[in-house]
Amino acid sequence: MKKLLFAALAIALVLAGCSSGGKSDVIKVGWLGALTGDQAVWGENELNTVKMLFEEYNAAGGIDVGGKKYKLEVIGYDNKGDPQEAVNVTKRLTGQDKVVAIIGPNSSGNAIPMAPILEKAKVPDIATVATNPKVTVQDGKVKPYNFRVCFIDPYQGAVAAGFAYDRLGARTAALLYDVGDDYSQGLREFFKLNFEKKGGKIVADESFNSGDVDFRPQLSKIKAANPDVIFMPYFFKEVALSANQARDLGIKQVLMGGDGWPSDQLISMGGKAVEGSYFVNHLDYADPAVQDFKTRYKAKYGKETELNGFLAHDAVLLLVEGLKKAGKVNGEALAKAFEGIDVQGITGRIHISPETHNPEGKDAAIIKIVDGQYVFQEKYAAQ
Amino acid sequence: MSWTYIQGILMLAGINMIAVLGLSLLTGFTGLFSFGHAGFMAIGAYVGAWISASPASTPAGLGLPFILAIVGGGAAAGIVSYFIGRISLNLKGDYFCIATLGFGEAIRLIFNNVNRFGGARGWPGVPGRSTFLVILIADVIAILFLANLVKSRHGRNMIAVREEELAAQIAGINVFRYKMISLIISAVYAGVAGVFFAHYMTFIQPKMFSLTKSTELTIIVIFGGLGSISGSVLGALVLTALPELLRAFEIWRLVFYGAAVILIMVSRPKGLMGGMELTPSGIRKVLAERNALREAKTKLLADAQSGEED
Amino acid sequence: MVQFLQQLINGLSIGSVYALMAVGYSLVYSIMNFSNFAHGGVIMLGAYFGFFSLTLLKLPFVVAFLLASVGTLAVAIIVERIAYKPLRERKAPFLYFIISAMGASILLENIVIATIGPTFRTYPEVFSKVPITLGPLAIGRLDLIIFAISAVCLTLLILFIEKTKIGKAIQAASYNVKACALMGVNTDRVILTVFGLGGFLAGVAGVFFGMKYTVYPQIGNITTKSFIAAVFGGLGSLPGAVLGSVILGTIETFVAGYLSSQFRDLIAFVILIAVLVLRPTGIMGKVTEDKA
Repeated sequence: MKKLLFAALAIALVLAGCSSGGKSDVIKVGWLGALTGDQAVWGENELNTVKMLFEEYNAAGGIDVGGKKYKLEVIGYDNKGDPQEAVNVTKRLTGQDKVVAIIGPNSSGNAIPMAPILEKAKVPDIATVATNPKVTVQDGKVKPYNFRVCFIDPYQGAVAAGFAYDRLGARTAALLYDVGDDYSQGLREFFKLNFEKKGGKIVADESFNSGDVDFRPQLSKIKAANPDVIFMPYFFKEVALSANQARDLGIKQVLMGGDGWPSDQLISMGGKAVEGSYFVNHLDYADPAVQDFKTRYKAKYGKETELNGFLAHDAVLLLVEGLKKAGKVNGEALAKAFEGIDVQGITGRIHISPETHNPEGKDAAIIKIVDGQYVFQEKYAAQ
Repeated sequence: MSWTYIQGILMLAGINMIAVLGLSLLTGFTGLFSFGHAGFMAIGAYVGAWISASPASTPAGLGLPFILAIVGGGAAAGIVSYFIGRISLNLKGDYFCIATLGFGEAIRLIFNNVNRFGGARGWPGVPGRSTFLVILIADVIAILFLANLVKSRHGRNMIAVREEELAAQIAGINVFRYKMISLIISAVYAGVAGVFFAHYMTFIQPKMFSLTKSTELTIIVIFGGLGSISGSVLGALVLTALPELLRAFEIWRLVFYGAAVILIMVSRPKGLMGGMELTPSGIRKVLAERNALREAKTKLLADAQSGEED
Repeated sequence: MVQFLQQLINGLSIGSVYALMAVGYSLVYSIMNFSNFAHGGVIMLGAYFGFFSLTLLKLPFVVAFLLASVGTLAVAIIVERIAYKPLRERKAPFLYFIISAMGASILLENIVIATIGPTFRTYPEVFSKVPITLGPLAIGRLDLIIFAISAVCLTLLILFIEKTKIGKAIQAASYNVKACALMGVNTDRVILTVFGLGGFLAGVAGVFFGMKYTVYPQIGNITTKSFIAAVFGGLGSLPGAVLGSVILGTIETFVAGYLSSQFRDLIAFVILIAVLVLRPTGIMGKVTEDKA
């Protein structure tokens, strides 16, 4: 038994050793995210997207950097959605695999502790859907090697609150959020701030804990508060469950959410309960610009892409354009090249601000669920 | 292999080692099983971050030297553990274990709701003061202190409590007091580990200190071997590195991790080093036992052969 | 008043799910004196077995339900053989069992992630999801069914333990395994039976959990709550496990409904600890002191 264990470890070491060392005309790009744990759905989707796009670039002969053709190679590692593993993986990618840039992760809590390592190794990172402002800016200073292709929580919260107040005419709102989740707490905070600033009133502010599956106690309380709209800033599994339970309790109000909502599974699990709901999204699914990617992904992997795929797509786009602009395969030059770059992605125009490393002025899309379809309403920019 | 990567894992193992050594005193030497030590780590991490973080950052800290953060974080965890011990140390077996689980989770839930410390969104901008050298020194101190404690009269009393609580009581050992000392020391160790963790990660979030973290620590203690300090040291090194070594298996790696835990429990029910120590005298003892066993075997065989010949 | 009644219904419904899971814990505890943390993993597999029997094999619900429960019965026995039996033979202390159980639970969760994938899955609609409404109150049909099935399972279990020969052996073993073995009882068979029963109940719990909520690899985590409920009621006592679950579910609901949902779990833990301080072996727990 013991021998077996040691044999397994020995194999692991050998395999680990094999992955390093490559040819000079290959650009190695790291990816990290959750392939196991409760965020694995998104991680798998992102890595698949990056792999697919790299294969496509390579099939077309690679990319041109400083007059030389390079192939792209992705080295992807699982971090279980755990910040501690994100740190390990970043050290491994920068130290051992010598990647020139990293794509991911999808969670802010995992992206924030990477910064000092990236800075030391001079390797830039493009976060996909990490929406906490502190991923790129800490205490008023921009982190030199952290970038992202998505909008940030304060913006998303302002869009949701603005849309609820101005377009839906809601004057009272109830909040239900995941108290153990940074994304959910952030979005709730900025929704509350902006909704109250506009003159609206939060009549119920309820929370649950990550991993909970029953929300009826909180929903019963929300029902009694009788709000105009209920804001649910968390991920689709909990959204579907809580929406179903809300309808069971006879809650008829409009539900609203953020970019944790969109997924095929929301429709299949939420069914009628989420009909007529609105959420803030990074893109319009019916936009002609995204159709091509959607079909390519489905053809290759046999299933629909999640939201993360679109943003991973744009992260790859940003990376490739950045490499071309830099003209050399070097992390430091690449980070410089990202600043001020202007790329037309499928989720919108990505113009990286040198001050914040965020894509400035990226519009949010408001989506309504009609007959089990995600129907685009309007591009909405918060003031 | 790159040194930054290996160094990073060694530092993590060193940080885990401090918490594991403390837990080893509680579980391995005193016989109490805790599911809440991540809570003490959280207290250490947050208090430590508060003491050393710059007053200009958000959330703001006091901007004091790292050494004060280590002392403060450890002390805070120790003080909290005293009150927890007062309430729960009289509970038996699984009931004590569920009470510590409750406290551990409660501590995490409180931090989730404290906006002063960043709530669930966490505390970025903790200064990265945990260097390889500092952690190494802390580990050496932690090991030496524990080794001396275990060898002292107090250590023997704790072992007595583990072996036969009733008998220890009758022999005049104040069982509750020794359980309390053991709990407080283990909490201080966990708190100090939390301080180092916060200053290694430079970012802390309540969800880092979940039940999973507590069970991970307990798994390391048992994996290394109850009642063995060198076992805890080895366990912390092996089990922190194991998920990294298993990376090549990609999504299968946690399957292997789980299998490895079962395997070691089943094939070495005393853990890697149960009851043994990796000291010169410890090794001599084991070798002597082995030799004695081999001699006995050859003698038996010889006897059997001579018996056949007769 | 309406609010109060609705919250009471919510609490009972949550409590009955905890109860289904907690009984399995308590059953194993009563014989083995350790908390079988692999139970959560087995429940999760039960949810998947039921799901695939309904969707892939397109079996009728009752067959799928039985198939899932028999499947988890087998899994529970396999886990016992691999992870616990060698420890039992070496008379290892309960800590080793717990660690081995944790290893098994990590293993089961991740096997599912690696083979079936991490996505969430929704059960097809077996029972109508439209709740029964009594005026402003809403009662889920599934909740009523879960309530009824839990009651039936528990009655059958208690009858089995009270009336059959092997059941009597289980009772005897729960007082003292060693003495029982000396009296000529095949304790290995008793232990297998207990794990089998626990596994069967895990299947029942898994299928209903999956139907009520959804199926995903981390279902096992929710069983922490049912473990707490089992301790609350007193480990090793089946009625205690049910009582503890119902009380925990109701307390949680009322705390969220009337005090603060932010601090719901916190207050639940405080109450748990208070109960333990006042009654160190839970509400109906068996005394294990002299067996350590």
